Amino acid sequence: MYSKMKCSTIKLGFIGVMTALCVSSNYLLIGVLNVKFMDLFVFVSGYVMGSFAGALVGVLTWLVYGTLNPYGFNLPTLIATCIGESLYGIVAGVLPKFESNVSSATSAVVVEKRFWKTNLKIGTIGFLLTFVYDLFTNIVTGTVFEIPLVPYIITGIPFTITHEMSNFFFFFFGCNVLINAIQKIGILRR
Amino acid sequence: MAQKNIFTWTSLGFLCVFIVAMSFGAYYYTEYIKYQQLYSKTLKELQKYDRYVFVNILIDYGNSTKEWHNNTLIVRGADLLNATRIVSEVNYTRGTYGAFVTHINFVGGDPNTYWLWYSWNSTSSNWDFGPVACDAHILSEGETVAWIYTKF
Repeated sequence: MYSKMKCSTIKLGFIGVMTALCVSSNYLLIGVLNVKFMDLFVFVSGYVMGSFAGALVGVLTWLVYGTLNPYGFNLPTLIATCIGESLYGIVAGVLPKFESNVSSATSAVVVEKRFWKTNLKIGTIGFLLTFVYDLFTNIVTGTVFEIPLVPYIITGIPFTITHEMSNFFFFFFGCNVLINAIQKIGILRR
Repeated sequence: MAQKNIFTWTSLGFLCVFIVAMSFGAYYYTEYIKYQQLYSKTLKELQKYDRYVFVNILIDYGNSTKEWHNNTLIVRGADLLNATRIVSEVNYTRGTYGAFVTHINFVGGDPNTYWLWYSWNSTSSNWDFGPVACDAHILSEGETVAWIYTKF
């Protein structure tokens, strides 16, 4: 029971640290529209600690960042971003079950020859997740503010592309490395 | 199994490329429609000015002082005299062959010195002497004319 509690405490601590990392990086990059490390960190959290932990990091991050935001606060949009962000964590949590080439919690060392191939797969997943997230949040925002959806989505394309491409590069270069670094700590178990 | 895996990831990769391409296509298509509408609206606005033409008028006072009045807007069919009166103070008399300008911007009346008008010939790149009185010459779109205070 003590080991279960220990794991739970470690998990909570990890969630807290990752949430703080997401929130602080968001505020640091607030001047750069739609370029954020948050999605990468939420994905890594989900991959390392499971879907629930990843989703929780996403939701907690948005509860802080979405409320205390210089661009304003809107409850339906906040709910949509919480749900959208948790998607990164949820997908990351189920990913190891389907993909053996991506670093799993049981193997700490990535085979070097598969490194870039793995990165490309993670980058692709990041891109598609970002596409779904942007589409979902744009639909919700457009519906809430009663803006015609198709023109609203098309007008937002430059920001969407920026978000998707930046996340592709962050996931491509950073995800595998981060996962390995966290797993090498050794005390974290799913 | 490995082949199926490669196929799946390749398809996902192409899906990403497709999303980017469709996004750019949709965005630039809407931009095209927007600017096409703006262009049509501008053309309709410009039709209001169909009754007007732009001309260029030079006033040379003969002492190296020159005034250019480029892109002067005048009513289509206006003569040189009326166009000159838009850009300057003109004194003239009526003679047998038409209006004779005596002063432009209070300059005139000197012995053996008269205001002559010329039209720019773009073919020969030279000024052509005005063949008729200034009130008989109807200005055309984009024409360049000059009043030169000439001493004989």
